[in-house]
Amino acid sequence: MTGLLTGRRILVVEDEMLVLMNVEMVLEDLGCTAISAAGSVAEGLSLLAQQSFDAAILDVNLGEQKSYPVADKLTERGIPFVFSTGNGNHGDRSDLDDRPMLKKPYLTEGLITVFEQLIADMPMPTAA
Amino acid sequence: MADVTAKSDVQKEGEARVDAFRKDLGPFVVAAEKSRMPMVFADEEPGHPIIFANDAFLALTGYEREEVLAKSFQSLLAEGVDAETMPIVDAAFRGECENDPEVHCKRKDGSEFWAKMFVSPVCEEDGTVVQQFVSFVDQTKHQQDNAQCKMLIDELNHRVKNTLATVQSIVTQALRHPAEPAAIRQAIESRLMALSQSHDLLTSGNWEGAGLHDLVDTALHPFKVVAGHAERFTIVGDNVHLSPRTTLSLAIAFHELATNAVKYGAFSNDAGTIRIDWTVVEEESGNRVLIHWLERDGPKVTQPKGKGFGSWVLERGIAHELGGKVTLEYLTDGVACTIDIPISAGLAE
Repeated sequence: MTGLLTGRRILVVEDEMLVLMNVEMVLEDLGCTAISAAGSVAEGLSLLAQQSFDAAILDVNLGEQKSYPVADKLTERGIPFVFSTGNGNHGDRSDLDDRPMLKKPYLTEGLITVFEQLIADMPMPTAA
Repeated sequence: MADVTAKSDVQKEGEARVDAFRKDLGPFVVAAEKSRMPMVFADEEPGHPIIFANDAFLALTGYEREEVLAKSFQSLLAEGVDAETMPIVDAAFRGECENDPEVHCKRKDGSEFWAKMFVSPVCEEDGTVVQQFVSFVDQTKHQQDNAQCKMLIDELNHRVKNTLATVQSIVTQALRHPAEPAAIRQAIESRLMALSQSHDLLTSGNWEGAGLHDLVDTALHPFKVVAGHAERFTIVGDNVHLSPRTTLSLAIAFHELATNAVKYGAFSNDAGTIRIDWTVVEEESGNRVLIHWLERDGPKVTQPKGKGFGSWVLERGIAHELGGKVTLEYLTDGVACTIDIPISAGLAE
């Protein structure tokens, strides 16, 4: 079965394991088989250094850290991403306000719609 | 600020007034000097030179007495305040402030404080204002409390939203595979209860963490009581201190292991036992705790057909959230699970 995310590589940065589980289930239902999960900024940056991704979802708050260094690296690499957060806005990083944002808890349909938009303009990777 | 060693005529005149003020008021000056409320008297003339400052005012601002006496009140205040403050202070001296102003000031050392300022004119019999009496209430603690309160509300909001997302995940997972409504309800409820009990455990310890022994007891309590299995659990290990995050994750892990044991494993017959033990491994890179869960004398174990919530939590969730290693083996003689996670050193009290 071919889904929206078949053959796509997705990075999920999320420190709450049960929230990660839900995101993974939704992405798998969309046909994604290449999900990489990071629970911290260091892990996220390390994964980005090792491989490329078609899109990413980033939890803003990772314990005491913010995921902005990962967001900056994704921006630099031209990889589209969506934020998820249990809090309000980006504070002094208002330059990130134009990025899509999912407020926890969010509807599964909302997550799917965002990914549809994120990958709409991305060419399929040649090696799936 | 002018050099205090070279006194101008103006200053000398000012100091003479300070002396006169002390003599005039006698015992009142002594009382004011020792009052815990910071206060100053200033003359009613341009700049409002200070003719009296008590000990509490000097303690609040960090100045020496000779650095403030005969100095203009406004100029002293202007050393540190922000742009909005001075017009408020000037208005207060003119009696034009409806409410007592709250001002943001700097101490001599540059540190900041908030104070509520009360300005009262001192009048002669004919109503002429001769002095201004100014007292302060330090609002720093109040401001800090407000800031702390706002931070706690933000943090609470963040946690509530994350908890709702967690509950969403638990419900979604339970509905993912076809099952009887009663079984779905039971799966959701028991996981919510497990989350709730680990929150209670953390709350009783001020959310600073919990002991591993206390956590195991709490997580397994429902299984001991409901099924009468207390004597079939063997639990061996110190009350190793765990962070709140580790406590919450492990509570779910133990709940899933015990649920599986009751449904399919050692607690699904009358003879099975479960041993849980752990040791702390000290390494240069930091301490780790190595937890073993071992089931014996249950029915012969068969590999589960699909991967459910429990195996995801154990094999992927714990490793992801706690940076640990988990092996879950469906051995013929009983399920064996090893959880190896980093911990900060120390025993819980």
